[in-house]
Amino acid sequence: MTDRDLAIRVENLSKRFRIPLDRSSTLKHRLTHWRSASRYRSLEALLNVSFEVRAGEFVGIIGHNGSGKSTLLKILSRIYRPDAGVVTIEGRVSPFLELGVGFNPELTARENIFLSGAILGLSRPELHRRLDEIIGFAELEQFVDHKLKNFSSGMQVRLAFSLAIQAHAEILMMDEVLAVGDAPFQQKCFDTFNRYKREGRTVVLVTHELGAVTTYCDRALLLDHGRLVADGDTADVTAQYRHAIGMAADGSRPEAEMERWGSRDVVITGVRMLDSRGVQDVDPPTGGSVRIELGYEIQNDGVADFTCVLWLLRADGVLISESSLPVSQYAQVGASQRGSAGTIRFDIPQLSLLDGKYSVDVELQGRRDTTPYDHLKNALHFRVVDRRERRGVIEPGGVWSVVRADQPGDWPDQLASAK
Amino acid sequence: MFATADAGLAGAAGATAPPLNSFRHYRHLTLELAISQFKLRYTQSVLGYLWSLIKPASIFAITYFIFVDLFKINDGTKVYGMELLLGIVVWTFFAECTASSMQAIASNGGLIRKAYFPRSILVIAASLSSLFTFIINLLIVFVIAVALRDIDLGLRIVMVIPLLLELYALALGISLFLSALFVQFHDVSHLWEVLINLLFYASGVMFSLTYVLQRLHLAVEVGATTRPAPHLVWIVQVMVANPIMQIIEDLRHALLTPVAPWTELVVSGHLAAVKQYAPLNAAWEVPVPFLVVILVVIFGALTFRARARSFAENL
Repeated sequence: MTDRDLAIRVENLSKRFRIPLDRSSTLKHRLTHWRSASRYRSLEALLNVSFEVRAGEFVGIIGHNGSGKSTLLKILSRIYRPDAGVVTIEGRVSPFLELGVGFNPELTARENIFLSGAILGLSRPELHRRLDEIIGFAELEQFVDHKLKNFSSGMQVRLAFSLAIQAHAEILMMDEVLAVGDAPFQQKCFDTFNRYKREGRTVVLVTHELGAVTTYCDRALLLDHGRLVADGDTADVTAQYRHAIGMAADGSRPEAEMERWGSRDVVITGVRMLDSRGVQDVDPPTGGSVRIELGYEIQNDGVADFTCVLWLLRADGVLISESSLPVSQYAQVGASQRGSAGTIRFDIPQLSLLDGKYSVDVELQGRRDTTPYDHLKNALHFRVVDRRERRGVIEPGGVWSVVRADQPGDWPDQLASAK
Repeated sequence: MFATADAGLAGAAGATAPPLNSFRHYRHLTLELAISQFKLRYTQSVLGYLWSLIKPASIFAITYFIFVDLFKINDGTKVYGMELLLGIVVWTFFAECTASSMQAIASNGGLIRKAYFPRSILVIAASLSSLFTFIINLLIVFVIAVALRDIDLGLRIVMVIPLLLELYALALGISLFLSALFVQFHDVSHLWEVLINLLFYASGVMFSLTYVLQRLHLAVEVGATTRPAPHLVWIVQVMVANPIMQIIEDLRHALLTPVAPWTELVVSGHLAAVKQYAPLNAAWEVPVPFLVVILVVIFGALTFRARARSFAENL
């Protein structure tokens, strides 16, 4: 690689965060604890990361949450300083990571264009010249002098995007830009990125959308706990990542171990998941009906009413939903003698989860003091299979329809009330 | 002014990046931020800009009542009302500017974590937005003074410009220091509230230094026969060193106090007062306020610079 082709060179880059163990931000604390001022937990956000990016390359950075992707991007765009290592950048870097940086809801679209545009590195005369183009591209001609807070989120994203593509950076850094906006918007993003590519601009993209990485990026970098574990062809790297987070069909990832705590005044005797035919331990399909059953046994006479709480989590730990036994049903499980037992059922008539791995935590807790009697973390693991291969986390059950009108003007102006 | 205070990667880690944007671009960004903040300050309020007049006007009204009507003190000058008004407008700027600029970093976490630019821009923009209000208020005071014929116009009016620059430099230096510390220690806002209340009385807003010296029998003319109490000397010492006192005194001298034509540019109001200061009567007292301003600016900028590199991580 000749130096002329080089856009970014990162050599042995390391970044460590010091997370204070006691988050006290007062002087008094500093003064009274000055001896023990170094109570920090160290987190290696990036460790010896090295790579090069050629001019005109389209690079995707992937990795699980907390792998250091965003930290790397922030160092490349000078928001964070590295602790060690050298970053060489040839060309003008976009100084922003997200769309709509600096937008203020109390200002009008026009005022926001000048403010946010200034952060993006555009001068006032330049913005004046391109105002019509920006507004036109965002399809917001009638709303130039409306306050941003009266815009729908879609309108705000359109404005942010049409402003962002005006920045003349040679190297663009984008953090989860695809997380906002609908499919047509994402398409618009990629059309623009493709144009940048033709113009020889470099794009570094951090995203969770693996499909987007394989489709549009020339190359992918995989980060794991701050280390660069893969660098190369997008198909290979995304496959490696899928494998690592247990998305691959082989299911080779070891499941998180069960953890248990509580006073054991009431104990959980068993947890199981049944499908509509009453068969245990199958991968339920999206839209199918599912029943989770929990067996309990009371160990002490003095136990008052208790309730059952159930947490449904995605494999990466994101809480999908929390649900507990309704108050009206407490009496059915409580006020019983030692030794009495029973089963609590949780029925899901239509499972709205899409493809992926999930787990269930359950807890029996006292009604009054909410002390855990018995808590089972990772009580169940299951995998949902969506035969239609829809993307995302949940199937919201939305219904599409189109109503045609012969003439415009029928549609109430979204901002009419804001005038 | 501090465009390179926290510039980029170059430094300990040995990273290099081409100069991203020119000084002109950052000046443009600073102005855009200041203008939007100025606008935002007065949107969503019925009275809008009037509020920034009501605040000093109410302090003026109550102070005037207490000192002129109640205590029959009028500072020994015919233009006490105007002197008081000028002092209050200057003070309001200083107090309001430092208090709002202190939050400039902490309240812009989103911007700092998502975009790169020299962080000092945020503080400069916040202080500029206060400066706009101040300049408008000052012009209003000027118009009132002209209308009431309480003004003594002369060549020395040109001194207003360097005095305002000195005032702004002082406010900015303090703002840089406070805003950098406020990110980690919210105590500074409380501490500053206490200090600014004390400083109000040491800044000659309600009375001139000459008047204080006369009342305390410390002025040369009165003839100090006995040595003044040590705490009085100490208090006067603080007043003499206080740049806000000096700025207010000199602004009054430049705009309001009638003087003989030949002393126009030679003698400032502050200098004239300090010269009467019997216990020391020393020439070295005169440049102390200027030294204080210079030290505050340097110290504020250095503190800010040292802490700016970790703002994005600490917010």
